[in-house]
Amino acid sequence: MTMVGTPPPLPVRDRAAARDRGAGAGALSPMLGRLAEERATGVLVREHGTLHLTEGRVVHAESPHAPGLDVLLTAHGTLASAAWQQATAQADGPAEAARLLLEAGLLPSGALELCHLDALYDAGYFALAPSSVPGRFRYGPPPRSGALPSVPVVALERETLRRRLLLHRTWPDPATDTSPLIRADPGTTAPVTARRRAVLDRVDGVRTAAQIARDLGRQAFHTLVDVRRLAAAGLVRPVPTVPAPPPRPAPPTLPLTVTDPDIALLKRLRDALEAL
Amino acid sequence: MPGIDECLLEAMRLPGARGAALVDWTSGLALGTVGEAPGGDHETTAAEAAELARLAAEHGAFTAGTGADGQPPVEDVIVSNRDSYHLLRFVDTSFDSSVFLHLWLGREEGNLALARIRLGEMAARLVLG
Repeated sequence: MTMVGTPPPLPVRDRAAARDRGAGAGALSPMLGRLAEERATGVLVREHGTLHLTEGRVVHAESPHAPGLDVLLTAHGTLASAAWQQATAQADGPAEAARLLLEAGLLPSGALELCHLDALYDAGYFALAPSSVPGRFRYGPPPRSGALPSVPVVALERETLRRRLLLHRTWPDPATDTSPLIRADPGTTAPVTARRRAVLDRVDGVRTAAQIARDLGRQAFHTLVDVRRLAAAGLVRPVPTVPAPPPRPAPPTLPLTVTDPDIALLKRLRDALEAL
Repeated sequence: MPGIDECLLEAMRLPGARGAALVDWTSGLALGTVGEAPGGDHETTAAEAAELARLAAEHGAFTAGTGADGQPPVEDVIVSNRDSYHLLRFVDTSFDSSVFLHLWLGREEGNLALARIRLGEMAARLVLG
């Protein structure tokens, strides 16, 4: 009999606990929570990405770790690269470029809305990643975005927390998110889906998950999920960034407290999810 | 050319429709919802439906016989329970995505065969215009 490895279930938030603690924006960035409350319009620049707000709602997000709307639309020929370049040359920002393409009949609105939301949640996930420097907000006029859907700050924060928990449950080591990846020799030969095979084929000891996502014209978060599943299956591992330190002799007295970082991280994530 | 909301509202016009959603099966995120959800919670419903969709989309037993045209091999997943149907229709996009339409249909008034055909047409129109 063969065992089929089923990934852990997708996380859902505990609504009752969230109500008890009082829901509100700002769980991931207090500044963003305040901006949502005051219905601010402008651009929030954080270490790993940028959020564009209009009246306290997220209308657009960008991150160097996530492919933009242009990559998602052009990578598989949904839209010709030339058409995108022509539209951006006439437009003030990608949202307005998208509106021009819509009006010109070059894109169906369903496809555009879907790609826009995919790109927004994808870049938003990285923009809300823990950062070592404070974010900066620049008040400004709203972008002429037309009719593309916007997302409440609290919805983006909630989804970002859920995505962190999903990655952690899939494979607890976050090193595969950012390090160059290398193939590992698995103990077993588990079948690999076609989508994950495409990711695995691009693992070359140099590329990171974000670069593989861009190559494939896929959302970066989707690729992080695939890479963690491949890591869980023993097919991929991160290239060590620093050589391991030489083993040191054990200290004469070992501390008796044992801390499990996985448990601690899970508890923090659970608390943050419940606090929403 | 319909957007996401128009597509979901059109699904709600099917006889017996209780609720509809557009869901990403990799993350479990609902990109759009309309009407009711079982238990009153679209978010949880989306995450749970995404599990089911992902299993169907990824396991070899259901994906055998894939054509070489790159289309997803599984068209839809149907769950029938005592008083309702759940119909999950994979959306075949020209860009990379992992989304499906989820229609919750009352069993008394609903017509599963009709809903399946119509939902397939809506999924195509959503991304092709």
